[in-house]
Order: sequence, then structure tokens, then C-alpha cells
Amino acid sequence: MELTYTPIEGKSRQYYTAVAVLAAVALAGLISFALSYIKGHQLFGSSNAIPWSLPIVIAIYLIGLSAGSLILSSLTYVFGQESYKPIARMAVFLAIVLIFGAMVAIAVDLGRPEKSWRLFMFFYLNNMTSMFALNGILYGGYFVISIGYLGAILTNSSKLVKPIGILAVCWAVLVHMGTGAIFGFIATREIFYSPIKPLEFLAAAMVSGLALLIISVVFTLRFSKRSINKEIISTLGRLLSTVIILLLILVVVDKLTHFYSPNRDATVFLFTGRYSPLFWAGQVGLAYVIPLIILFHPKARKTVKWIMIASALVVIGIFFERFVLVIPGLAYPLPYYPGHIEGIWGQVGSFPLLPAEVILSVGMFAFLGVLYFLGLKFLDLLPPPVETEPAVEEAASAEE
Amino acid sequence: MARWGMVIDLDKCIGCQACTVACKSENNVPHGSPKEQQRMQEIYWNKVIAVSRGEYPTASIEIIPMPCMHCEHPPCVTVCPAKATYKRDDGIVMQNFRRCIGCKYCMVACPYGSRSFNYKEQEGKEYHRPDLPPDLGLDSKTHIGPWPFPHRTHGVVEKCTFCFHRIDEAKKRIEAGEDIKIGIDVVPACVEACPSGARVFGDLDDPESTVSKLLTSRDWFKLREDMGTEPKVFYLPR
Repeated sequence: MELTYTPIEGKSRQYYTAVAVLAAVALAGLISFALSYIKGHQLFGSSNAIPWSLPIVIAIYLIGLSAGSLILSSLTYVFGQESYKPIARMAVFLAIVLIFGAMVAIAVDLGRPEKSWRLFMFFYLNNMTSMFALNGILYGGYFVISIGYLGAILTNSSKLVKPIGILAVCWAVLVHMGTGAIFGFIATREIFYSPIKPLEFLAAAMVSGLALLIISVVFTLRFSKRSINKEIISTLGRLLSTVIILLLILVVVDKLTHFYSPNRDATVFLFTGRYSPLFWAGQVGLAYVIPLIILFHPKARKTVKWIMIASALVVIGIFFERFVLVIPGLAYPLPYYPGHIEGIWGQVGSFPLLPAEVILSVGMFAFLGVLYFLGLKFLDLLPPPVETEPAVEEAASAEE
Repeated sequence: MARWGMVIDLDKCIGCQACTVACKSENNVPHGSPKEQQRMQEIYWNKVIAVSRGEYPTASIEIIPMPCMHCEHPPCVTVCPAKATYKRDDGIVMQNFRRCIGCKYCMVACPYGSRSFNYKEQEGKEYHRPDLPPDLGLDSKTHIGPWPFPHRTHGVVEKCTFCFHRIDEAKKRIEAGEDIKIGIDVVPACVEACPSGARVFGDLDDPESTVSKLLTSRDWFKLREDMGTEPKVFYLPR
């Protein structure tokens, strides 16, 4: 089957409104970034107890979405599953937008963002034993390779697509395992330290990337009045339930190991402490339990609507998974000396959600939304509409 | 080459925080407001923690002064992506503000919490004091180390340096022929300020130094030895 692709027209009022609103929010984010750069990170909720805050949570979240999305595009271009072809271009494009967002998120979390070029001075100014420096190679390479991949797909050079696709997918796997290693290799933080962290991150990437792909495909096709192939969506739903189970197994193994007595104080804090509602309701409930119930329900799993709901829950739930990894993982005080440490040095770190940080975070998502809409307009990403008359464009911005 | 280390006698420590204050005035570490202190945004190069153990009738309290441990295998140096933190030949773990990109990975990796992030433009910007001249020139070739970094800037990580400027200056004076000894005549500010003489500084490789003699004659421990970092700050138990 030969498929043609076409851009959306993007001249309707709704399209311009959506882009304008997102751009305004992104601008607000830019202003709060400028403020945080001038005034310092006192405007953020981070502290010496919790050095990493929302931008890092968002960064690893976006990397996961990106890597997952790219790996799934390989179903078409590497494994030759023709039935997924209508969505494959969009998957690659989403992957590029999201990894770019992740690099922006890391840059705004740096205390001196103007020095972020130092992260890319591979082997020269970089200390290559640092997982961060190694990930600089992985992220930079991933960005370049994905752009080459998209270029090869857009120009229909079938000779190049497959080799670049294989390279891009292997690289995407590495990218997310490397991100897991940033956390998994740190022996100091009990909740981070785990050899299966890279695999857990990879599984989470597949889960969130797949869920985001389902959402953005259905939304975009529906609002631009293109036909939705229900068979594809329900197959993707089945795939989603499989990877959720895989992720659930890895998380249970990881948490159970850390929960096993003795030496389990930080994990007990995660399960019962200040952030436990986010863990149980956000991560376990939204990302695993409810979507699995929906996806295994004999009737719900066959309807696009319920698969959409399950995917939306997963995308939100994986964000909480990132949050309860970074924030409580750092918040639990370090045991400098056996016993109960009095005063601020033994307190659980507090993480207030301050306006500058929240606006900055929302602004980053809005920025990605702008890029996504512009891409839909200027690149041939979607299969053509069923009717030939000019399609009514979407006013949706909800896929974030 | 010397290997600088510190011994802290917990039996002599009275928990007066003189070391914390002396460190702040020596290195011009900014003071934070009570709110900043509560939010853990104040910079401390040296801290004193109080640890309560057990319950009545077996309750006790330990006072543990904690400078940077200047580990033999520092996790912060391993994880720093920008070579901003590094170990000198004499074992002092340094932080180069000019290279630091502020990613805070070192703060995540440090098991002793001895690193602080600079959260705002501080009033006390001068890092060095004019009466202690820098050991490097101001020309472009030698202007590469942490010294001189005339102004501290927000967005980078700071830490204890064992008052390396005092040590470096003393080394020059020794070379010039002065009869002084590092560890006796020249010590870090916290050691100098300790009213009960609980802190001792010196060369761990020199068998004649006070630290070596204390470590061979007394029982000692290091903090969080299970992390494998091999700190060069030793504690003599109460």
C-alpha cells in the first residue's frame, strides 16, 4: 500500500488561536526563566536538601516520551509493520520535539545556563566518568540522528530509512537507559540506587511514549477530520497493556528490594511519608492500576474512547512516577551519623511549588505545543483527509 | 606531597559553632535569613549537627562538626560533568566556580551534604580577602583556577576548601625560608577558632604530625565508611 502524506492547512481561526495561546504561555515561561536567571534559583522550590526540582522531573519525563515514541515508529520503518504506517511520521516528529524540550528543561535547571555548552565538550572539557557527561553525548547524538531519520522519511529515500531507523532506535534505547543510569548509579540516595533503574526507565519510556502517541494520533486525526483506523488503536491499546505490565513488574521488584528490612527508611518514607499520596494515587493508581483495569475490561478495551482515557491516565501517571522518584528520593535526609539528627539537617526537605517554577514548567510544555502545531503545518506528517474539501482545523491543545 | 587531613576530638567538642562562624568570616560565606535557613537555602561550608540516640534512660546526644570530608574517592568528582570539582595532588577537593555549570549533580551524590548551592546574588560577593593575596596572577594564562574568582556568583555550587589559600600561602613562605609548620602555625580557620582545641589539622603522611600521632594512639572512626569514600576527616569518639 502506497501512502501519501500532507500537511494540515493551518489557516483557520482555531489554528491561529491555539498557536497564539500556547505562544503566550510559552512567553510567560520565558519571562519566569529570565527572572530566575537574574534573581537566582531562590525563585524555585529547590533547596540544598532537594537540589533538583520540576525542570529535571520534566526533563526525564520528556526524554521518556521521546524515546518511547521513536522506538514505536520503528514498528513501521524497521520491522515493516505496514498497518502502523499512517502514524509513523508523527511518532518521529514527536520524538524530535520532545527531546528538544528535554534539553531545554535541563538547561533551565542549570544554575549557569549560559555554560551549558560545556556539557557538549565531549572528552575535552568533560569528565567522562560522569553519567551527565555521557548523557550529553547520548542526547546530542539522539537529536541529530532523529533529525536525519525524519529527513530520510520525509524525502522518501527508502534506502536510507531502514539503516538510520535501526541506528535511531538503538540510540533511543541507550538514551533512556543512560537517563536511568543518572539516578541508578548514585549510591548516596537510597531510592535512586538500583541496577534495574535503566531498564525501569526504558519500560517507562515505552509506556508513556506509546500512550502519548495514541492520544496525539487520535486527537490530530479526529480534529483534522481524517479517518481513524480503530483496529490500529485497539492493537496499540493491547501493546500498551503489555508494556505497563512489564513496567509494573520492574517497579515492584525495585521497590520491594528497597523495602526489604533492614536499611529501608527512605522507602518507608516514600510509602508512608509526605509524598506517599502522590506515589500511591499518582504513580500506582493513574499509571498502572486504572489503565490496566480499562485495558483488560472486555468491552472498554475495544473502544477508542476508553483507550484514550487509559492513555491519558498513563501519560499523567508517568509524570507522577518521575516526580516521586526525584523529589522524595532527594527529600529524605541523609544519615550522616546513626541516630536521630536534630534540627534542619535531619528534617525531610520541603519542596514548595513556587509560581516562577510552575509558570516556567507550564511554559515549556506550551513551547513544545507550539513546535508541534508548526510542524503539522509545515511538514508532511499526516495521511490525507478522507474528504477532499478543506478540512476544519483543530482547536485542541489538550494532548500535553 | 603532603596529604592534608583533619582529626576532630568529639570528647572536646562543646558544640559552640565557633568553627561554623569562623568559616563564614574567613571565606566570606554569606549569612542567610532565618527563612532561608529554614528552607535550606543558606550556604554552609561547615556545619555542626546534633544527633540524639536512644530513649530515656539510655538517651545520649552527640555533637558532630562536619566540614567537607575531602574524600580519597570523592563521589562529587566522579559525577561532575564539567571537571569543575577536582582533587588536588595534596588531597583537597576543590570547586572551580568558573567551570561549574550548576547542575547540582554533586550535591545529589555527596553522602555528607557538604555542598551548598548559591541561590541568589549574595551581598558578600568577595570570596577572598584583600589581606590574603591570590596565588595566581590576573593574566589570561594563569587565570584558570578557582583563584582568583573575585566575585562569587549565584548558580554555582560551593564547598569547604580546608582553607587552601592559607596552606598555599604558607608553602610559599616556607619556600622563602620562614620557619613555620603547616598544621601548627598555619591551620584552617575552623581549627584556629576552636576554643577547646577539638580540631587538629595536619599531614596524614607525616609520621611526626599531630594528626598521625592522634590516629595511631587513639581509637577513631570516619563518617559513613560503608560508602567507600575514605574521608580524610577523622573523629575520635567520646
